[in-house]
Formats: sequence, C-alpha cells, structure tokens
Amino acid sequence: MELVASLIVVPVVAALLLLAIKNDRARDVIAIAFAALIALLSIAFAVVFAGPGTYEFALPAEWGHPLSLVNLAIDLTVAIFVVCYAVRYKRPLALGLAALQIVVALWFEFAVQAGAEFSTTMRVDALGVVMVLIIGIVGSGICVYALGYMKDFQAHELHGNPQARDRRPWFFAIMFAFLSAMFNIVLVDNMAWMYTAWEVTTLCSFLLIGFTKSEEAINNAFRQIVMNLLGGVAFQFSLVYLGVFGLPLSFSTFVEIGSAFPALVMLPVTLLAFAGITKAAQMPFHTWLLGAMVAPTPTSALLHSSTMVKAGVFLLVKLSPIFAVSLVPSVMVVLVGGLTFALCSFMAISQSNAKRVLAYSTIANLGLITACAGVGTPEAVWAAILLIIFHAVAKSLLFLCVGTAEHHIGSRNIEDMDLLFERMPRLARFMMLGIMCMFVAPFGMLIAKWATLVSFVETGNVALIILLAFGSAATFMFWAKWLGKLSGIAGEPQNVELTVHKSEWAALLLMAGLVCVTCVLLPVMSSGLVVPYVQTAFRYGGQDISDGNLWIAAICAVLVILMLFAGLGRSSKQKRVDVYLAGASADNAARTFRGSLSAPVEATSRNLYLDGIFGEARIAPVGSGVCIVIMVAAIAWAAAVLPSML
Amino acid sequence: MAYNSKSPWVIHYDASSCNGCDIEVLAALCPGFDVERFGIINTGNPKHADIFLVTGSVNEQNIKVVQEIYDQMLEPKAVVACGICACSGGVFHDCYNVLGGVDKAIPVDVYVPGCAVRPEAIIDGVVQAIGILDEKAKAMAQQKKGA
Amino acid sequence: MTIIVTVIGIIAFAIAGPIIGCLLAGLDRIISARMQGRVGPPLLQPYYDVRKLFSKENASVNTSEHAYILFAFIFTLVAGGVFFSGGNLLLSVFLVTLSSLLFIVAAYSSRSPYSEVGAARETLQAMAYEPMLYLMCVAFFMASGWFDVAGVFFLDAPAITTAWLAFLGFLFVLTIKLRKSPFDISMSHHAHQEIVRGVTTEMSGPTLGLVEVMHWCENVLFMGWVAMFFIWSNPLSIVLAVVVVLAVYFLEIWIDNNFARVKWQLMLKSAWAVALVAGGLNVAVLAYL
Repeated sequence: MELVASLIVVPVVAALLLLAIKNDRARDVIAIAFAALIALLSIAFAVVFAGPGTYEFALPAEWGHPLSLVNLAIDLTVAIFVVCYAVRYKRPLALGLAALQIVVALWFEFAVQAGAEFSTTMRVDALGVVMVLIIGIVGSGICVYALGYMKDFQAHELHGNPQARDRRPWFFAIMFAFLSAMFNIVLVDNMAWMYTAWEVTTLCSFLLIGFTKSEEAINNAFRQIVMNLLGGVAFQFSLVYLGVFGLPLSFSTFVEIGSAFPALVMLPVTLLAFAGITKAAQMPFHTWLLGAMVAPTPTSALLHSSTMVKAGVFLLVKLSPIFAVSLVPSVMVVLVGGLTFALCSFMAISQSNAKRVLAYSTIANLGLITACAGVGTPEAVWAAILLIIFHAVAKSLLFLCVGTAEHHIGSRNIEDMDLLFERMPRLARFMMLGIMCMFVAPFGMLIAKWATLVSFVETGNVALIILLAFGSAATFMFWAKWLGKLSGIAGEPQNVELTVHKSEWAALLLMAGLVCVTCVLLPVMSSGLVVPYVQTAFRYGGQDISDGNLWIAAICAVLVILMLFAGLGRSSKQKRVDVYLAGASADNAARTFRGSLSAPVEATSRNLYLDGIFGEARIAPVGSGVCIVIMVAAIAWAAAVLPSML
Repeated sequence: MAYNSKSPWVIHYDASSCNGCDIEVLAALCPGFDVERFGIINTGNPKHADIFLVTGSVNEQNIKVVQEIYDQMLEPKAVVACGICACSGGVFHDCYNVLGGVDKAIPVDVYVPGCAVRPEAIIDGVVQAIGILDEKAKAMAQQKKGA
Repeated sequence: MTIIVTVIGIIAFAIAGPIIGCLLAGLDRIISARMQGRVGPPLLQPYYDVRKLFSKENASVNTSEHAYILFAFIFTLVAGGVFFSGGNLLLSVFLVTLSSLLFIVAAYSSRSPYSEVGAARETLQAMAYEPMLYLMCVAFFMASGWFDVAGVFFLDAPAITTAWLAFLGFLFVLTIKLRKSPFDISMSHHAHQEIVRGVTTEMSGPTLGLVEVMHWCENVLFMGWVAMFFIWSNPLSIVLAVVVVLAVYFLEIWIDNNFARVKWQLMLKSAWAVALVAGGLNVAVLAYL
C-alpha cells in the first residue's frame, strides 16, 4: 500500500516543488532526484508485485467520504479550468462540453450516487506492473531529458523575444503531475476515481500542447481538448449508466459482470471503448495527436510513449475480456483499430516531417493495439501488451533523438537528416536502433506484430489479416527510407553532437538501453510479466509464439545491436574509393559532377513520398468517414437494445 | 587464381567514336559471337569491371572521364583500346580538340586496330587482355603473400 | 531444443544453399542464353564470377557498407536455416525482410545517386511484395494447420489443394523477389540500365561477391517456399516438389526473357491488386468455408 500511495504522491510533490523553483541548477537537481526516485519506486513496485494474481488494497472505510469529495473537487477544478480557457479564447464547443461535464458530475455525485460508498480500492495486477514500469521509467526518463531540451528551448525563445517569461517551472510541474495521474489510472479500481485521473491527463496534455501559446498551439490544444472531452463525456455516461442500474463502480467487478452478462453492460462498454478510442487517437480523432506535434518535443515523447495515448489503450486492453464475448463493441474497436493501423501507415509514407511520421506511426500502432484488445483472446492481449511495452520504449527513444537532432541540425525534416550518421554518429545509431525496433524482426514490435497476425488468423478475422498485411508493408516503406537517409556517409564528417546536454545523453542512453534489454530479454519478459496477466484476466494463458522462436529472435537482436554499435563505421584495411558519378565528378565528396557546359551540378536525391497514392488529402477523409460511421452505428446499436433491458 | 580469366567483366566507354566500333563491340555480345560463352559480361559499371574497353579518341572533354573510370576500376584491371581512333586518334588525330589515342590518358594494355574494328579482333584483344589480367592477379597475390 | 535444431539447419543451409543456388544461377544463365539463340556460359560460371570477385581488391566507398552486407548475408542464412530445419515460416519471412532491409541500407549508406535511386526502388519493391508474402503464409497456415514448416510431413493432402490461389499470387510476387524483368527496377542483371546497377552500383570486389552468394541463398529459400506447398506425408511428394520447383524456376526465366520492364506504379498497383484478390480471397475462403 505504501508503495502504491508513494507512486501517486511522489510525482505530485515533485510537481509542486518544481512549480516553486525558478533556479536552473536547483531545478536540475530536484527533477533528476525525483525522476530517479520515481523510477526506483516503480522498479521496487514491479519486484514486489510481478507475477500472477492480483493484489487489492483499500484505505480505512472512513477515508471514503473525504476522498470522494476530493475526487469531485479535482473533477470540477479540471472542468472549470477548461471553462476558463474556453471563455478566454472564445471556444464554444470546449465550453459546452466542459459545462456538460460539470452538470453531469454534480448530478451524478449528489443525485445518483448520493449515500453510496466511495471505494478506495487499489488493484494491482501484472498489466498494472507493466504500465507502472513504463510510466515510471520511460516517463521520468523523458522528464530528465526535458531539462536539457528546455534550456535550448528557452534560449531560443529569448533569442526571438528578450522579454519572454521563463515558464519552465509550469512545464515541469505539469509533466510530473501527468505521471501521477497516469499512475492513478492504472492502479485504481474505482471507476469514478479513474475518470477523474482520466480528465486530469486530458487537461495536462491540453496545457502541454498549448505551452508555446502560439496561435497554432492554441488551436491544436483546443482540438485535443474537444476530442478528449467527448471521450470524457462518454466515460461519464457509462458511469451514470452503472449508477442508475445500481451496478458497483468497481472496474474489476464491471469486467466480471461484463464477461458473464455482456448484454447487460453493452452500452457502457461501448461508451468506454469510445472513450478509449478518443484518447488513443484513433481515426477520426487522430488529428489531435498530429496537432500535438507543435509542442516541445519532450511533450510529444511523453504523450506518445508512456502517457496519454497509453491510457486509452490500457483501458481497452482492460476491457478485452468483455470484447471477447460482446459482439457490438468488439466489432467497433476491431474495425476502427484495424483501419487506423492500415490507413495511418499509408499516410506516414507521404510525410517528410520526422515528427509527423512518428505521430502517424504512433497512431497506427495504437490502432493495432486497439484491434488486438478488440479481438479479446488471450493471445491477442498478449500481443497487445507487448506492443504497448515496445512502442513505449522505442518511440520515446525516437522522439528524444528527433528532438536532439532538431536542436543541432535546425530541422525536423527527414530530408535534412541526410548524413546524420556522420554529423551525429552516436545519435544516428540510437535513432537507427529505435527505427529498427519499430518495424523489423527480430525486434520487439515485429515479434508483437507476428503474434498479432497469428491471433487474427486463429480467430479467422480476415479483414484484420488483410489490413495488417498491407499496413505492415507500408510500415516497411516509410521506416526503411528514413533509415536510409540516416545511414548516408560521405565527405568530411563535421561532428555537431559535442554540444548535446548531458541530461539528454543520459535519457537517450536510458531509452536505448531499455530498447536493447527489452528486445533481448523478450522471452523472460513474456513469461514474467505478460503471461501472468493474461492468465489472471482470462483464466488460461496464451502465447502464440513458442519460447524457442522468441529466443532465436532474441539472439538475432543481439546480432543487430552488435552490428549497429560495433560493426558500422569501423576503419578497416579496405581501400576507400569515391562513388560513381558516371566518370564526370567535379567534387566527389560534395556529389557534384560536371554538367552541361562543364558547370558543376550537384547530384541530389529525395526520398519517395508517393503523395499521389498515399497523400493525406486522399486517405484521411475516407478513413475518418468510415470510422465515424462504424462508431455511430455501434453506439446507436448499443443504445437501441437498451430499452429491452428496462 | 585462374578465375580472373574465367570471368572477365567489361566496361565499354565510347570516348569520341563515330559509333562504328561501338556497334561492333555490341555485335560481339549478340548470338553470332556470344562472348558470354567465355563469361564475358558488359557491366556498364567501372566498379564491377575487369577490362576497360575504349572506343574512339581522347579529347579535351572526355580525358577526365576516361581517367576517372580507369581510377574507379579495382585491381587487377586491363585496358583494351578498340579501333584505330582509340589506338592513335586515327583519321581524327589532327583535329583541333583531339589529344590522340587512349594512351594519352591512361596506360593501355592491348591495342586492337581496325576501322571499324571487327568483332573477331575485339574478342582476340579481350583474350590477350585476359592473359594480362592473370599476370596482374598473380603479381597481386604474390605481393599479398610478401606483405 | 528449437535453437539446436535451428543452428544445425543454419549450418546445413550455409553449405547446401550456396551450392544449389550457384547451380540454379548457372542454369538460369544457360537457359536465358538459349532463349536468346545463344550458347551461354558454362554451368559453373556464377561460381567463377564469385571466385574472381573475392580475389579482387578490397575497396569500399565507406566504413559501413561491408558490415551491412555481411549481416544481411548472415540473416539470410539464419532465415534459410529456420525454414529448412522445419521452423516457423513467418520467422523465416521476417528474417528475409531484415536481410533485404540491411541490403537497402547498405546501398543508401554509399550516398551514390545511382545506389540511392536503386535503394528507393528496392524499398518500393519490398512494399509491393510484402502483403502477398504475409497472406501466402496465412493461407499456408490455414491450409495446413501449421506455421512450422515441418508440419507438412504430417499432411494428408498438400497445402496447394486448398491454397492454390494464394500460391499463384505468391508466384506473381516471386518475380519481384527474384528481381526478374518486368520487375527488375531496382537493379538489373543486364547492362545499360538507366541507374547503372542500382542497389549494387557501389558494391565491388568481395562485397559484391558476398551479395551474389546471398542472392543464391535467397533464391534457394524462395524455392523452398514454393516446394512446401507440394509436400505431404507421402515421401515421394518430395520428388514432385523438386519437379515443381524446377518448373517454377523455368517459368520465372521465361517471364524474365519475355517481358519488358514496367514502371513502379504498375508494379505496386498490380502486386497489391494480386495480393488483395488472390491472397485475400483465398484466406477468406479458408476462414469461412
């Protein structure tokens, strides 16, 4: 219990301290100390609670009432915060949704739930352990990275506007508060409490996205909040449903009831799934995650890898035992997830902005996790959890790399990352590691995709198999061409990575180390963390890939890592020669050749973006339209069967 | 070490030929002569080639190209000058821009005269070049052993 | 246990793969020559070529190219070892993908304009054939009940009986995988291509030799994928599979010699259409009927 409580409280303390501190040095020390503390706490937590079975803790019963008031207070504060912002920037839609939430929250608390006991149960299972590890280690690693990044960021701000206020205390406070909210989501059993934490994450990401206060940032922040408030309203309605029907607000009981009597909870499950889909940025809500790219890079890394979107898929994975038996929500989640995976992978091909490519890839992978959760078999859930783990570590590594590269080469365009292998040799290798981890065997993401494919085949889900096959092919395309750009070697290297902050290196090393460790120890992780959860949730374990094959993959992963860090770029006895420029090179290192009239011309090449086939303008409207139809139909269906229940 | 002679890959460069010799070079690849019987392939890439087959004379514009292609070929390598223009400049030897035969630019191993050079002569020249290749390969191997 | 079997498989494949692949490549060149009215080189010509390449000067445009190719070669061997030791079909497909990725990155790393264009096209080719490969694996699993290739020896009827449509689709993308015309857009075996030798433009001497051996091994592995559709519990079926493999190989050579190269747009669209129709339909039929 102490561990659980400290996981939730420590980040809050850190946030408050950081809010008060204005001094750079002090902020560094405190942030690093707290990040380390949170990481250690989550490791200790994992050591204590890993393995099969669930642990429940509850505070003494008399704490229930005050906590319920605290809960309501936080809930209302969040909504009022949004209302204030909406009024200030004249956004009626956000205002309306927030006002609706306030009304429903008050009505729910004082009319529906009046007198009901507020449960303080914390419930820990293996999935919770996985999530705590991700949030605690990856999340706090990103906070450490942000220290160095934000120094450069602030310097840049001051350069543009000498009067710019230093708003970094605010930034770091939100980052740590975010972690606390995430710990709440993954550990509590009380759905009302979970809902509050859910809304806190929405607000935190709103504030982080709008951090720069540029017009674009404000617009994107409001897009985010409107979409996620929609999800929040859906979450709230399912709470109301449970309250009205006198069902307990305990998540574990809810899942048990749901798997036994799917018809009884069809509407709330569909609504919760909808909430999960909004938070996991599935189509048509993917635009908020794309818009979130205007924020400083640590924000993007946090939103994409360890928090926010992971809350969405966490909820869906938790609900998967119900999806296994309940057709309507399952079909909705599976189709939306599958379509999002394929279409967003397609659209990623047409992007040259590194952060947008990463965003599309995140959305696509979340789609895959969503689809797995929707399939709801133990094997699919096994794959989903592995996807969550590997996506978190690889994507955070990639975001941090892109952030550092951006500050040192002055661009986030992939075309400008030409020759990065020479200009920033260590960073480029980290980036390559991250990219390879995202899409190619023997690394984790692909192993998880493999399991996904097998579980789709076993359930005979033809549509998903086809979507996965085509989506994966597109994935290969957009990662491979990026990898290619990075790998280029020519001319005199001018190393520009010497000025990277130590804290950035520390975080990058941590993430790269995590990628290596998780990929190589995949079989151990599977039997120690993932299979136990699947066994607890489904009463029988499922793992589609034999341990022998996992070990073969692990050995291959070691080989690739060796290649990246020991094999490449070594000087050998080989003779160095120039590249072939049809015998007409003017300056071979600069890739210039003698053109017509003997004038030097530079040979340039751009990657293929295939905009005519995979452009956003072609694909996004179709995908969003279809997904909207699917979701409206599913919710309408679930609502239509409601009267027969009454 | 005899493998050099069994798989001589050729790069053909037209320096400033009237195309007469070029057509004959390509004729050697066609069914009538079929030099692939001897493992000869026209690669079109200096990095893969063993034998540099030049037609036409060298002039101010292309001398650098001839030299660069030669430089980019890996040892062991041999050069065959095909046709009288490549050997000495031929009828163009006193043109204002012509420097002369290929040997003005790079060391030539085999001179194959003719205007246009006949495919039989080309094949004969390549066979002689193969012998030179073998010698060079042997020298290379000995050097390796010595070192 | 799986690992020991796989290691034995890798060693066996590392020995047998290049030998068989070399003979297949020699056969290819002779048959191609005959189709063009020529005599063609000796059967062992590919072997001579590679021996020569290994004896050439060791040079490279950068410090990484050779390492990428070496690892691409290693992973081809591992993929072959996994497959021919009766291991998981999907794992072998994924490892071949890894190997082709490293091959692509090696070309990109040279930063030669010709290689880069070749590498970009090779990436496109990979995207074109990948869906059909996955669907082929899925159809094979649904038809045979196994992802482990060793399972074919327990079948009452070969997988081809129910997965013939997916097999035909696989034959279509096999042309891309073998880099045969009309889909030899990333690198051609023939001279005078607009991008020189595409992917392998900057690879020379021993590095190019390794690439050749890697392609031999790949070809043997692909032929193994063809063969697995025709094997069942009857030991004589292996003979049938060998005959089919030779016929398929002949067909690919025939296609190579009879079709002009297409543009990438047509390649991508046709390969995806084939995957959707042949692969999708076959998988759907196997899933629902």
